[in-house]
Amino acid sequence: MASSSTAAGGGNMKGYFRQRKKTGGITKSNSNSKSKKSSSPDHSATLASDIAKPSSLISHASLDLQDDYDGNEEVLRQFDMNMAYGPCLGMSRLDRWDRANALGLNPPKDVERLLRVGKLHSECLWDGRV
Amino acid sequence: MEAMELDSEDNLQRKQCLYQSLDESFAIRKEMYRGQQYSQIYFARLHLMRTLLYSLLPNWKPHLPVCTVLELEEGKECIIVGTLYKHMKLKPSILDEYSKERSATPLVKPHNFMHPDDDLVLEDESGRVKLAGTVLIPSIYVTGIVVAVQGKETVGGDFLVEDVLEAGLPHQEEQPLESGEDKYVVFVSGLSVGSSSSNPLQFQLLVDHITGHLGDEMEQRVAAEIVQVVIAGNSVEVPHGLLNGQNLASKDQSRLSEPIKELDILLTQIAASVPLDIMPGLNDPANFALPQQPLHRCLFPGSSAYNTFRSCTNPHSFELDNIRFLGTSGQNIDDLEKYSDAKDKLDIMERTLRWRHIAPTAPNTLAFLCG
Repeated sequence: MASSSTAAGGGNMKGYFRQRKKTGGITKSNSNSKSKKSSSPDHSATLASDIAKPSSLISHASLDLQDDYDGNEEVLRQFDMNMAYGPCLGMSRLDRWDRANALGLNPPKDVERLLRVGKLHSECLWDGRV
Repeated sequence: MEAMELDSEDNLQRKQCLYQSLDESFAIRKEMYRGQQYSQIYFARLHLMRTLLYSLLPNWKPHLPVCTVLELEEGKECIIVGTLYKHMKLKPSILDEYSKERSATPLVKPHNFMHPDDDLVLEDESGRVKLAGTVLIPSIYVTGIVVAVQGKETVGGDFLVEDVLEAGLPHQEEQPLESGEDKYVVFVSGLSVGSSSSNPLQFQLLVDHITGHLGDEMEQRVAAEIVQVVIAGNSVEVPHGLLNGQNLASKDQSRLSEPIKELDILLTQIAASVPLDIMPGLNDPANFALPQQPLHRCLFPGSSAYNTFRSCTNPHSFELDNIRFLGTSGQNIDDLEKYSDAKDKLDIMERTLRWRHIAPTAPNTLAFLCG
């Protein structure tokens, strides 16, 4: 079924919601309906349907798929997750590295290099999320 | 009767001592409580103490293997090292306020939360195991001590303890014995100036004795051997009735500051004659959590004019003539007394030496600001 929601209309609210014939399946009521729940799999967000991201909402921005996650951050996250250096919550990464060094645990030097150069996140990956 | 001359030939001189403060680790610079996790403290403590205990194991039971809690096998004799956790039935928990019914536990005694059913659990990074057996008596131990235990795992999953090793007393340096010279440090605490039970005459008597205004020449010789005075907390008692959050009338404001002013007058007399260290205590106007920061200089306008007056942290550590002193105003010992059993407080202090930790119950039951 072709989706018709690629904002063909200008400010037309109906363009945001896929219209369906009343005879087929569960109908989605018209644009006054605020319900996002839908029992038809074609409407589900798991298919990354355009209903989830109406194009006008993303017309001036880029999709947030990257999430600041690159190779360096991956190295730092592995350092966070390594239990040998203790829990990562509650300390900045550099403090945790310094403490691991002071305790004689020999933390990896490239982590130190990345942290001191400093463009990356100074807090652990759970910071602000728990 | 001989005339008392102000400048007699044998003017007694007070003995001198080299003083060095070791309080830097207790000073809070920019650290704030940001909702830190206690897990960091326990990790650091376990790591440092475990390294220490591992170095002692070869002298204790060298033939037995050391393993972590997860590596325990049933029936295998081994040694495990970890932090003790004492599960206490009567320990006050904030969640009790929300429990629908107060269960049949007896009324909480405010002075001691011990119960015959308390049990000990040993925990390291990999896991925890319940400790069984009669060797480890729960009433002596508290949460937060790091020990090594030897024994084996039972069928039920507990660890049957056969022997325990504490960190023990640290190595003492040999002090060269110097002939003849006796020097004394005076420790005072609980002056509670401003409380109904404090007697200003008694404090004045102490001041007179320290400064050498009391007694004949023999007494004055003894007083001249005092090289340091340390006031270890609870020096003032602010009238609590005024501290209820309401705005204070000006006469109440002066009542609030009376005890500190009175203390300052007396401390000025001491500071004029001997080096004086003052530490904050539980009732003093300082922060609540350990390490308590020094009382502010503005509280002591008279005494702080002297360079012999030092306001110090709690805990306080200093070195006098190469002998190291470390002490607190007692909150740690009081807390230990609530959670363990001992003949007297000196016994508890000895235990903190043997455990090599002055405040094992921090941050569990003793307020502590971790850095």
